[in-house]
Amino acid sequence: MTRWGMVIDLDRCTGCAACEVACKSENNIPTVSPEQAEMGRAISWMKVTAHVEGEFPHTDMHFYPRPCMHCDNPPCIKVCPVEATYISDEGVVGQIYPRCIGCRYCANACPYLVKYFNWYGPEWPDPEQQYLNPDVSVRPKGVIEKCTFCHHRLQQAREDVRAEGRELREDDYQPACAEICPTGAIVFGDLDDPTHRVADLREDPRVMRLMEDLGTQPKVYYLRARE
Amino acid sequence: MTPTRREFVWTMGAAATLALQETRDVFWTTESGDEDLGWAPGLEERHNSTCLICPSRCGIRARVVDGRLVRIMGNPLHPMSRGGVCPRGLAGVQMLYHPERLAGPLIRVGPRGGGQWQPVSHDGAIALIVERLQDLRAAGRPEAVALVAGYCAGTMRDLWRQFLQAYGSPNYVPDEYDDGTDAITALMHGIPRRPGYDLERADLVLSVGAPLFESWWAPLQAFVAYASPDGSDVGRSRFIQVDTRFSRTASRAHDWIGIRPGTHAVLALGIAYVLLRDELFDARFLAEHVSGFHDAVDERGRMREGYRSLVMRNYRTEEVSAITGVPVERITQLARELARSRAPVVVCGPDVTLAPNGLLAGLAVHSLNVLLGSVNRPGGVLFEDDPPLAPLPVPELDETGRAGLERAPVGGAPPPFGAGDPAARFVEAIAAGTSPEVEALFLYYADPLASSRHPEAWRAALAELPFVVSFSPFLDETTRHADLVLPDLLPYERWQDAPAPTSYPHRVWGVARPLVEPHPGGMHTGDAVLAMARGLGGSIAQSLPHESFESLLKARARGLFSAGHGMTLGGEFERRHHRQMEERGWWLPVHDDFEEFWDELVERGGWTDLFYDNTDPSRTAQTPSGRIELMPAVLLRELAAEGGVRRPYVDVATQDAAAEDEFPLRLIPYRVSTLASGTLAFERWLVEQPGLFPDVLWAPWVEVSPATAEAMGFADGTMVWVTSRRGRYRARLKVFPGTAPENVCAPYRLQSPDGEVANPLRLLEPSSDPLTGLSSWFSTFIRLERA
Amino acid sequence: MREDVKAKLAGMDPDERVLLRPLVETSRRFYVIAAILGAVTLWGVFAYFLQVRYGLGRTGLNRPGYWGIYIICFVFFIGISHAGTLISAILRVSKAEWRRAITRSAELITVLVIGFGAIQPIIDLGRPDRVLNVLFHAQLSSPLLWDVISIGLYFTACTIYLYVPLIPDLAIIRDSGIKAPRLYRLLAIGYRGTPVQRWRLERAIGVLSIVVIPIAVSVHTVIGWIFAMTLRPMWHSTIFGPYFVMGAIYSGIAAILIAMVILRRAFGLEDYFKDIHFDYLGRLLLVFSVLWFYFTFAEYLTAFYGGEPGEMRTFWAKLTGPFAIPFWTMVAGCFVIPLTLMARPSTRTPRGTLIAGIAVVIGMWLERYNIVVPTSVNPRWEVESIGHYLPSWIELSIMSATFSGFILLYMIATKFVPIVSIWEIKEGREAVKEVAERVARYSSSAQY
Ligand SMILES: Nc1nc2c(c(=O)[nH]1)N[C@H]1C(S)=C(S)[C@@H](COP(=O)(O)OP(=O)(O)OC[C@H]3O[C@@H](n4cnc5c(=O)[nH]c(N)nc54)[C@H](O)[C@@H]3O)O[C@H]1N2
Ligand SMILES: Nc1nc2c(c(=O)[nH]1)N[C@H]1C(S)=C(S)[C@@H](COP(=O)(O)OP(=O)(O)OC[C@H]3O[C@@H](n4cnc5c(=O)[nH]c(N)nc54)[C@H](O)[C@@H]3O)O[C@H]1N2
Ligand code: SF4
Ligand code: SF4
Ligand code: SF4
Ligand code: SF4
Ligand code: SF4
Ligand SMILES: [Mo]
Repeated sequence: MTRWGMVIDLDRCTGCAACEVACKSENNIPTVSPEQAEMGRAISWMKVTAHVEGEFPHTDMHFYPRPCMHCDNPPCIKVCPVEATYISDEGVVGQIYPRCIGCRYCANACPYLVKYFNWYGPEWPDPEQQYLNPDVSVRPKGVIEKCTFCHHRLQQAREDVRAEGRELREDDYQPACAEICPTGAIVFGDLDDPTHRVADLREDPRVMRLMEDLGTQPKVYYLRARE
Repeated sequence: MTPTRREFVWTMGAAATLALQETRDVFWTTESGDEDLGWAPGLEERHNSTCLICPSRCGIRARVVDGRLVRIMGNPLHPMSRGGVCPRGLAGVQMLYHPERLAGPLIRVGPRGGGQWQPVSHDGAIALIVERLQDLRAAGRPEAVALVAGYCAGTMRDLWRQFLQAYGSPNYVPDEYDDGTDAITALMHGIPRRPGYDLERADLVLSVGAPLFESWWAPLQAFVAYASPDGSDVGRSRFIQVDTRFSRTASRAHDWIGIRPGTHAVLALGIAYVLLRDELFDARFLAEHVSGFHDAVDERGRMREGYRSLVMRNYRTEEVSAITGVPVERITQLARELARSRAPVVVCGPDVTLAPNGLLAGLAVHSLNVLLGSVNRPGGVLFEDDPPLAPLPVPELDETGRAGLERAPVGGAPPPFGAGDPAARFVEAIAAGTSPEVEALFLYYADPLASSRHPEAWRAALAELPFVVSFSPFLDETTRHADLVLPDLLPYERWQDAPAPTSYPHRVWGVARPLVEPHPGGMHTGDAVLAMARGLGGSIAQSLPHESFESLLKARARGLFSAGHGMTLGGEFERRHHRQMEERGWWLPVHDDFEEFWDELVERGGWTDLFYDNTDPSRTAQTPSGRIELMPAVLLRELAAEGGVRRPYVDVATQDAAAEDEFPLRLIPYRVSTLASGTLAFERWLVEQPGLFPDVLWAPWVEVSPATAEAMGFADGTMVWVTSRRGRYRARLKVFPGTAPENVCAPYRLQSPDGEVANPLRLLEPSSDPLTGLSSWFSTFIRLERA
Repeated sequence: MREDVKAKLAGMDPDERVLLRPLVETSRRFYVIAAILGAVTLWGVFAYFLQVRYGLGRTGLNRPGYWGIYIICFVFFIGISHAGTLISAILRVSKAEWRRAITRSAELITVLVIGFGAIQPIIDLGRPDRVLNVLFHAQLSSPLLWDVISIGLYFTACTIYLYVPLIPDLAIIRDSGIKAPRLYRLLAIGYRGTPVQRWRLERAIGVLSIVVIPIAVSVHTVIGWIFAMTLRPMWHSTIFGPYFVMGAIYSGIAAILIAMVILRRAFGLEDYFKDIHFDYLGRLLLVFSVLWFYFTFAEYLTAFYGGEPGEMRTFWAKLTGPFAIPFWTMVAGCFVIPLTLMARPSTRTPRGTLIAGIAVVIGMWLERYNIVVPTSVNPRWEVESIGHYLPSWIELSIMSATFSGFILLYMIATKFVPIVSIWEIKEGREAVKEVAERVARYSSSAQY
């Protein structure tokens, strides 16, 4: 079985936020005004968050790039009254924008808070629409959205591979954030395929997941050396 | 929230319309619910190019769909950036398609800065400029033309210089970043170029105040080294960061040494002390390549202390510890670690050099590389040549031109070492009226009204200047005061070359090419300069015989084609293969003719030569003695001329004012790397979430330690006034445990939502290093009050 | 008032005369108040249209403060709805004689307020146009869907439960001929008070009052479960079902008390809403204030004792952090004030219960606030900082409109149905003997 997952090496991440902007650019994420950003309405499917421990001069800071965890046991999908969020056979948790009624229940049910709401309709003042990615639909106002593991890239890759008459390889399908990370901190692939790097990295002794105790079984793993 | 007028009118007048509308909305929303954008996926192309947003010049790969630039990604063929891009580069699409981009050339009507413009054609604009320039030449005053050039890479700079020279003006005024490290290498090595750092092959990188992962010359270079080139943990360089602030670089380095502001060089010499005391330095390298180490007798027969004695006498570890705040064991440990490493390198950053004793401090820090023998060897400091481009023709000069060039440039002589801050000297001279009049000013990539630390001088100067032309694609603050705007194309629409950043130790000639159809209202400033030359005719036209900027670039690339080394950008394997071949002295031409070479070069995004010949002694020192001079004679003379108060390796710390009751905290301004220049304000994704803290977004903030916040009774998020002797601004308090209790860290170049620019730089006390003329950013004390 | 109506009223027995008078006599003050309430309601409708048009961005909601005023009001109003049905059903089932005067006004509250509660989550939707998706694409595992079902059921049951005991009174109005004869003829469905009809009516009421209890309990349980089924700190709690039911009844009693005081003043019902009613309901309030404390204490102690970091962050945010003011006001409103007032007979007066009732209503609104907002804005992940939520004028307008709309409808209802059940009052007068016998049956037979 294919189970797409991600391993993020925190000991390699410099907090540059390239993944964040790459995701915004790839997935047609609108910008909001300063006031809206202040209110906490900026959308960022991938968000790099600083985790600071200890006080000067013994401070330690790590950056957690945080996409949707694509939980194997996702608390977000059970609560949706209209089944507008679902988990695919390959473990990718997706959204059906045209069905979502915008109740934000799933957003509250996600312990990682990675669901974002379109408080207003997205705006791309002319000529900003020019840079929109035609492979990704633009979400209307009033619906929830979140990281999709760049699912459109998988569809694209599948088509390409079929045309070439071969199997899907690890590098055929890489999400925008993993692709751009300058330090290679984000590794993406099939957790169940031993030839993929993620399968290997998952065995790293530094491995951990966020809020593992909740039993959500995230498919995003973090590597972090313990001091 | 109060109802806007629009809402009010709308309620009164159109309740019925609304009802209809809403019903339609409610019942006619399509199942898909997606916004119809009116385009269908179509022809998709990918092209390699070069990012021109900052001096790093990384390789990018553009995804173009139906002629629209949809994504910027990394070019994996680029040897420095290796497929990585930073957020600034990624958000370039937002700059290209920014709504505020100018629709075409504008000519001012009404008063200066009055905001009234009339469109004009490109030819019309050029004709106007040419007319002005002809008049000035006819009056015998070609020197009355000046250019303030901000970020001006590669051939654009050569073109402007050539133009001004042929025209006869000495007033090329660079307004760009200078960290003063070229002055250090010029003095010690006799090589007037900034040191290249071979971070990738170094096993220990000691960064002394260099923001490697943030606003350094090339953050991508640092990232690649940090990640290790092959992505494995084997051979990863170890990074140690000496920094006042617990910066992003400091936090992600393997080790951070928090240090008192202005004492970086003292720590460096404290390390040198241990190296010397324990005989841990590279004695062979010193014997073969270095002078000034031992005491010596000078030409007048006096005994002069050498480096060794000075350090041994002045930097005993306990004293260094007391000054820097770094524990004794840490200093010893650092020295041992450096000595133990196979290929250590010490990077000298702007925190060291942009200080009142910046040059002397920089020499002290760089001296560690010399002691460790980390010069001109893999993993050390390297000095590579420029790419072998074909030169521009030697400018033809007529009588007028020659006479103009002989006149003194506006702003007078530069400081003894380095260029200092030419733009500041320029504008002060104009504002003070101490220079011959400037009649025409060109602004290229510069917005001094917004960015200069002397905005009043600029305001005054702009009011005086009779003719100001801006080439900015946006109506930035200074452009609003121009008489004529001839908007440049944006980087993704134009040809441009971009040599690798100065910190990268190898030759790379990146090429940016038009990725999308250029905006009809824009004109490549390079083409505009060529058109101006054609319009002026005569010797000027002869000096710039190129039809377009593209053909100029192509002509220059002929030099690469016939160089007999190097390659167009290529993958990991190709790169390694090439390097190994060249190391053995082999190089095979792979292209039949130049056209084929050029096409491939453009397709791959540039040219590189990764072979570095470190057997060449001229890459270690080009001083008269042929040795690295720890005690450069010119410097000693200059210091003597100053009055002999300052001595190398002695006066290296910032002698700063102390905190006082009224202003108890030290202001540490720093740059948020995603907002490092005014241009980036056009990238909305960056402006939206500029910092590390998700709860402080657009509003300016200042960071204080928890202890300081508690002592003042301020909670996280309190709005405060930051007040220094020179001014104040409002910011939000952010409690950050990484901040030293006596400091307040303040990010700059942030605009608050109400449009007021919170600029901590305007709070700074002015001071500069007389040797380099570089202003120092430090030594300002402030207080915080509830706003 | 028309002369003939006046004459007819004069000809009635005293109960009917007093209780039917409001149906035909309306004061100026009534109109003024109704106009004000109507204006507030319309303003709220306008605010809602703005919200639909521009998006939920017009609220103060954000990430992570995803839920706010609307969800608070949803829980609050559905809670209030427990006033009627549950209380009147329980009192009926337990044959509490003193219930007779108060059931009607309570049941009316229920039916009217459910609607106002039930539209809150719809107002809260980002895509109200797609609300029917909950039927077309229903996913039964969602507690929100359980709510759709149980509220639907509850509303139906309550409406019937209001209507059935109303029939004899409707017949009385029909027979009196004082108002809209055709309407009342229709509504009274031929009820004549024959023994068979009477027997059937009482049967139906008996069954309904039993059926309605579990439905009412389920409604607020499920509302509690909306929160409890998530993994969010201080929501994920087993106690939430019963806690919500208890709170609902508590706020319901408070709402009845307030309504009764006002009705008594407005319609001169001193003979029906007697001090003893306030005394009894006051005792109930007292019991519930203690229960409320018990539940709240249990809930917070469990969170505190476990000391789980995620929980603790929310816990302290409520007790000493940014939510301390609403939290301690809630404690005062739900516990301190009602306890001190209702514990002493001397303050279990109409005035005392009014104060206590208002305190409880405010307190219970704040309780919902303290449940919804602090958890919503508090990320479980300590790396993320706490959010903030301030309702916008749109939300406040819509909330005011909900209150005013409800009060307005309630006022209008008093113009159509007697606010005290006439037939039950009469039956009560006749039942004195039967009650005495009943009481004698279950009192000890020991001789004094
Ligand atoms: N508040 C504040 N002030 C500062 C700084 C700061 O960070 N904050 N930094 C200081 C420093 S270190 C420096 S170097 C200076 C930098 O200051 P400047 O040299 O003035 O550079 P920018 O602010 O980046 O402004 C460059 C201008 O070039 C124009 N431009 C953008 N793209 C193009 C293009 O493709 N072609 C052309 N022809 N023009 C273009 C834009 O209109 C932009 O306003 O500012 C200094 N002052
Ligand atoms: N990628 C990228 N790189 C860039 C640029 C870019 O746009 N993009 N811009 C370039 C330009 S124009 C510039 S000017 C440079 C700016 O690069 P830097 O000169 O590095 O600028 P800042 O980040 O402002 O660094 C100021 C540092 O000084 C420290 N500091 C503040 N006060 C004191 C003090 O009293 N003593 C000491 N010792 N330190 C103090 C602060 O903590 C901060 O770390 O970046 C250049 N590099
Ligand atoms: S791009 Fe990579 S290094 Fe940069 S923040 Fe994201 S994960 Fe970290
Ligand atoms: S992280 Fe949140 S949104 Fe993503 S699958 Fe898990 S619960 Fe759902
Ligand atoms: S917001 Fe949309 S996806 Fe989330 S629970 Fe509600 S309907 Fe489902
Ligand atoms: S996987 Fe794709 S959608 Fe998810 S964070 Fe990365 S770039 Fe964004
Ligand atoms: S570092 Fe500079 S050149 Fe490189 S991608 Fe970022 S902005 Fe572009
Ligand atoms: Mo700069």
